[in-house]
Amino acid sequence: MNTSLIIVTYSLLFLLSFSVLLFFYLIARRIVVQRQEELLQKRYTMIENEILEVVTSSETDLAERVANKYKKQSRVLTRVLVNYIEQIEGQAKEQLQKIFNIALKEKCLKDIHSRRQIKRLKATHLFVLFSDPLESHHIVKLLNDKPIVKLVAINALSRIPTSQTLTYIFQSFMKDSLGNARAYINIMYGLGDKIQNHVKNHLKESLSVEKLGLLIELVGAIPLRALYPDILPFADDPNKEIRIKVARALGHMRIPASVDILIRLAHDDTWEVCAQALKSLGKLGDEAALEVLSEGLFSPFWHVRFNGGHGLANLGAAGIARLQKIKQQKKDRYAADMAVMVLDEVIFAGEGQ
Amino acid sequence: MNGILVAVFQGISAIILIYFFLINSLYLLFIILSIFGIFRYRNTTAFVSFKEIFQMPLVKPISIIAPVYNEGMNIVESTRSLLALEYPLFEVIVVNDGSTDDTLEKLTEAFDLKKSKRVFRKTLKTKPIKGIYVSPSNPKLTVVDKMNGKKADALNAGLNVSKYPLFCGIDGDSILEKDSLLKMARPFIEDPDKTVGAGGIIRLSNGCTVKSGQVVKVALPRNTLARFQILEYFRAFLGGRVGLSMLKSILIVSGAFGLFRKDVAIQCGGYRADTIGEDMDLVVRMRKHLHEKKIPYVFRFIPDPICWTEAPETLRSLARQRNRWHRGLVESLSHSSKMIFNPRYGITGMFAMPFYVIFEMLGPLIEVSGYAIFTVMVLLGEFNQPFALLFFLLAVVFGILLSLLAVLLEEYSARKYPRLRDIITIVAFGLLENVVYRQWLAVIRAMAFLDIARKKEDWGKMDRKGFTLERRQP
Repeated sequence: MNTSLIIVTYSLLFLLSFSVLLFFYLIARRIVVQRQEELLQKRYTMIENEILEVVTSSETDLAERVANKYKKQSRVLTRVLVNYIEQIEGQAKEQLQKIFNIALKEKCLKDIHSRRQIKRLKATHLFVLFSDPLESHHIVKLLNDKPIVKLVAINALSRIPTSQTLTYIFQSFMKDSLGNARAYINIMYGLGDKIQNHVKNHLKESLSVEKLGLLIELVGAIPLRALYPDILPFADDPNKEIRIKVARALGHMRIPASVDILIRLAHDDTWEVCAQALKSLGKLGDEAALEVLSEGLFSPFWHVRFNGGHGLANLGAAGIARLQKIKQQKKDRYAADMAVMVLDEVIFAGEGQ
Repeated sequence: MNGILVAVFQGISAIILIYFFLINSLYLLFIILSIFGIFRYRNTTAFVSFKEIFQMPLVKPISIIAPVYNEGMNIVESTRSLLALEYPLFEVIVVNDGSTDDTLEKLTEAFDLKKSKRVFRKTLKTKPIKGIYVSPSNPKLTVVDKMNGKKADALNAGLNVSKYPLFCGIDGDSILEKDSLLKMARPFIEDPDKTVGAGGIIRLSNGCTVKSGQVVKVALPRNTLARFQILEYFRAFLGGRVGLSMLKSILIVSGAFGLFRKDVAIQCGGYRADTIGEDMDLVVRMRKHLHEKKIPYVFRFIPDPICWTEAPETLRSLARQRNRWHRGLVESLSHSSKMIFNPRYGITGMFAMPFYVIFEMLGPLIEVSGYAIFTVMVLLGEFNQPFALLFFLLAVVFGILLSLLAVLLEEYSARKYPRLRDIITIVAFGLLENVVYRQWLAVIRAMAFLDIARKKEDWGKMDRKGFTLERRQP
């Protein structure tokens, strides 16, 4: 037998035995997983019934009894509690929290500091659902963790919006890389006007263009109307991205006094700022913007024409009349085309209602 | 003379052996990397609620572009599935690429379409558009009716009409799972500056039951060819692309389900209309463009968002599809050939492109050459019987091992096939594919080179059965 034949034979035997073992592993794993699922389902139904009894019963120590009874079956108990906590309110919710505190809290706090990422994520998730705001300091340590854990921690802190947790969130936003900034903004958005003072303070700080832009956008998206005077100075910012964000925020805030600033931005040197300003003017629906919106339709830039046309449509009868006039003029075909499209969409939207 | 011929063939055989060893080692490496990738993905997403963190109004809106050609059988169901997706802000643009069947009529009837006078920027050159239709009952839906110009042209028309900064190109006959866009958009939110494209996993809808535009029951198809393809899709997506994504070497984001940044796609000139492998071609050109501009970027493959698509069930359709895919691969790689082994293009030039050229593009040619040499050696009487037989068995067993590992990846990731019998059936087809099916596919793919030489450009017709709709109880 030559060497190559020996090598091939041994390789074949090795691969064959490995494949056979893998096949049996696949089958055995599937059987075990299915059995486990059936068992878990049985336990789940059992625990679920008792928990439903706890939330409907008037017995005060029932929660404690159930918690102690199922303390060792933490996996299934956790699943039942998680499934019910977000659907139940009031006193019944307190009962679930009581069960959590007795049966799972100790383990959860231990897992927050675990070396395994999955345990930290899971524990943080549970902490968000069941914890007391006073214990938020346990999560703060995770703000220096890996990006995904950090985001989950920020999300957790946003669920317990005390002054202290909000300070943690904003401090983390300031320190963190730009890549995560949008995720922070998404989380902050859910906090609504609770973050007003923090945003106000941070607008005064020296921020990167991107982070400043996101904060201005946030002011408009929520909207935080009380911060109107705080974002106005940025309308003259030399960076066009900031001016775009201001124009967008003003459109969302719908403060009548902002028409003049938006008209000024609609005459900006860059078409992107003009387009955004016209869009926001359309949202405000003030007839004072009639002329500037009409001018927009004659712009060489498609976006400016598009936003100008839709802005006019938003003004109502006066805007529609102006669109019809522009539709009939022969001087600028592109302006006429855009007017035709906008008018058609207005009629179409009316039909759909 | 006979001696020289034998020596030449023996030399070639040695090269083929080395090639065999390298290709299988690489596939094994990808699968091992995929196991790590899938575990990492599972660990980081199991306790992160996508809806909580990402379903906010500040996420980037998406335009879904679905080019369709003679998809009358599935089009209403597919469009409904797209409109039912969970995402804060998106639009669905169905581009009817000159269908000769009742695609447009079915859409008009189902969604009460009305012709619109919408104007749009013709940023990318396309065949003329006959009309743009919108639906009063579904404001998210736009239907573009245009002259036939093939898939890439239709996608470009969709890009011209689209409003949003991200676009998702999908096949008109595909069904997306409800939260697939949320999951797919995740890298664009986590790393918005670098993420340029993301791909998701494609699964076969043959045999599955569809209700209200969603797959409600997963089952194996009855058709033998479709069963073979299930395992191929496992290997390609779970084994190949997750592994390649970990090596930052993804060159294909499937045309059936891919999410991209519109600005970068437009800077590259959109889809190239004269290619049939438009999905790969776009990714390769985007990579080239970003390398040349020295812009850091990343393409991601997410193993979780699932898109269901119908696989061909006849030999003819399958042969056409694979031949077309291979022609597309060759065209895309040839078009950007200056990137191959060019250090200027980083890992794309030094690993991804050479890998695709040597192992994906030339693979079928080398496999077919191996069979041919084997036959010649037998005819010449120079056939080392025990070695050849053992080597053939080794190749088969290696293939089976890779298939089993791909099934393992499926078990670790989605475990979509509910019955144990399904897994055994898939594995059995993994054994059977080594006899005739695999060799036939290699020949079909190798013949793509002949078709390229003959300048064949047609897409070929695919015979569709349509989705199995849930029947109402009498």
